[in-house]
Amino acid sequence: MQNKEQMDFNTLLENILITAGIFIVATVLAIAFFHYSLNSTSVAIIYVLAVMLVARYTTGYVPGIVATFFGVICVNYVFTYPFMTLNFSIDGYPVTFVVMAVISGLTSALTTQFKKQNEILNEREKLLMEAEKETMRANLLRAVSHDLRTPLTSIIGMADTYLADNGRLTEGEKSYMVKSISEDANWLLNMVENLLSVTRIRVGETRVNTSPEPLEEVVSEAVQRLRKRLPQAKIKVQVPEELLMVPMDAVLIEQVIINLLENGVYYSGTDSIDLYVKKAEDAVEFHIVDQGKGIDPERLPTIFDGGGVDSNKSGDSHRGMGIGLTICKTIIHAHQGTICARNQQQGAEFIFTLPLGEKIGHGE
Amino acid sequence: MANKQTILVIEDERNIGNYIDTILSSKEYKVLRAMNGKTGLSLCTSHHPEVILLDLGLPDIDGMEVLQQIREFSSVPVIVISARTQEREKVEALDGGADDYITKPFGAEELLARIRTALRHRLHTGQSQSQEPVYSKDGLVIDFERRLVTLQGKPIHLTQIEYKLVSLLAQNAGRVLTYDFILKEIWGPYADTDNQILRVNMANIRRKLEANPAEPHFIFTEIGVGYRMLE
Repeated sequence: MQNKEQMDFNTLLENILITAGIFIVATVLAIAFFHYSLNSTSVAIIYVLAVMLVARYTTGYVPGIVATFFGVICVNYVFTYPFMTLNFSIDGYPVTFVVMAVISGLTSALTTQFKKQNEILNEREKLLMEAEKETMRANLLRAVSHDLRTPLTSIIGMADTYLADNGRLTEGEKSYMVKSISEDANWLLNMVENLLSVTRIRVGETRVNTSPEPLEEVVSEAVQRLRKRLPQAKIKVQVPEELLMVPMDAVLIEQVIINLLENGVYYSGTDSIDLYVKKAEDAVEFHIVDQGKGIDPERLPTIFDGGGVDSNKSGDSHRGMGIGLTICKTIIHAHQGTICARNQQQGAEFIFTLPLGEKIGHGE
Repeated sequence: MANKQTILVIEDERNIGNYIDTILSSKEYKVLRAMNGKTGLSLCTSHHPEVILLDLGLPDIDGMEVLQQIREFSSVPVIVISARTQEREKVEALDGGADDYITKPFGAEELLARIRTALRHRLHTGQSQSQEPVYSKDGLVIDFERRLVTLQGKPIHLTQIEYKLVSLLAQNAGRVLTYDFILKEIWGPYADTDNQILRVNMANIRRKLEANPAEPHFIFTEIGVGYRMLE
């Protein structure tokens, strides 16, 4: 009884309803069977089945036991001679009773145990996921602190040298230093914006808040912002003539476009990048193509998983786009899109897609 | 110019204040500085600056509150300084009476351009409602009296709504107009708050005015905020 009280009311109600429901069905079936065959054995079997089902679909042992008693009494009272009386002294009856009791007891025990094991498994899985997230976070943090510290070191160093100058530095050297400071600071700014964009993807949620945005507006703003920062970049942009409204988080997609274009500018060794957008069947494809030296094939498979950060090999490693590309992947996946990189005959190509939702036509 | 134009900078971060001060002083503006909202408000009442640069994150009073209090007694142009990722903050400030915003980090050119725009619009609203009769820039000419739009001498056919949109933006060239503001101006106060219709119309205008819709020359998008026309 105490056990029952501890159960919360909803579970109790659910148990009662399930037990009652199964027994009503069982009794109807039993009456039908009995009417046609007058065989109380099949009736008993129907009740055993009912007891098993009760044990399976309710929580705790109590419903199963209650069901056993009820089933035994039913079989005894209604379906065995003498009808409508309780008589436990009929031949073989104790056997039926015991068997029913054992079956229901075992079933409830088994299912309860099974449920408990399931819970434990789920919990373990959750813990594993948490641990995985933790590792991801730790990796990101490590990459960030590396990627932030390097340009900061150069900024501080250059600024200190500039300030401590006793007239030995030439004008050319000075302007070169200030230019480097400005470049590194701008790079840091983009990094910070990347990190901020990640905070827009809420922790634990794989989807983002999207609203239909005119594709060309997002593309043009991204290109405009990159041009402001990298005036030397020659970016050719092309969007479909048709107005496409694409469901997305515009700030995040802008960040992806900027990252990929910037990546192209820094790594291709050329300043000219093509960005064109094509409409596929139920998605839009963004292509970012450069005519540069391409991507090291070894890096290609892991380029979006931090494989781009190569602090040992690359000459100007602080411009590692590792985080940038990882963030691109996170953002695109959160939009249910795809992203990939490949080498062309000349240069590299990054392609990402965004699924098209409802589309608004060219009309007025 | 006999009198230097006064610009009040309400900004609590010393370095950014210094930076703005250096830029503006070199361009013959007189700069007043306030490190918090209270000083800012009292300087505003005592010195009647021509333009106010207002940082939204102040130590004592919320920047939006400062803006509200300024608007209670003055229509001086206010340019809000904000961080990039908070579009909502920008929209709130613009709809709350700010004339423009500038995003950190900003360059000297950008800041000076915004201040010139603000001063110019101040002159217009100060004298009378009439604007310049013609907008003309890089081959795009909008004749407000004859309601005529030409691009490199060729007439551009715009629908009624499209013309209203373009002329509204042109009359406020250089300033960002929020979606809400434009919707209310063009479609009236009971317009749907959904801005899809506006954006579809803008896309059509872009196809008529711009050589490449993906690289606009005349009308720029500020996603999540609104549109700004080339000044």
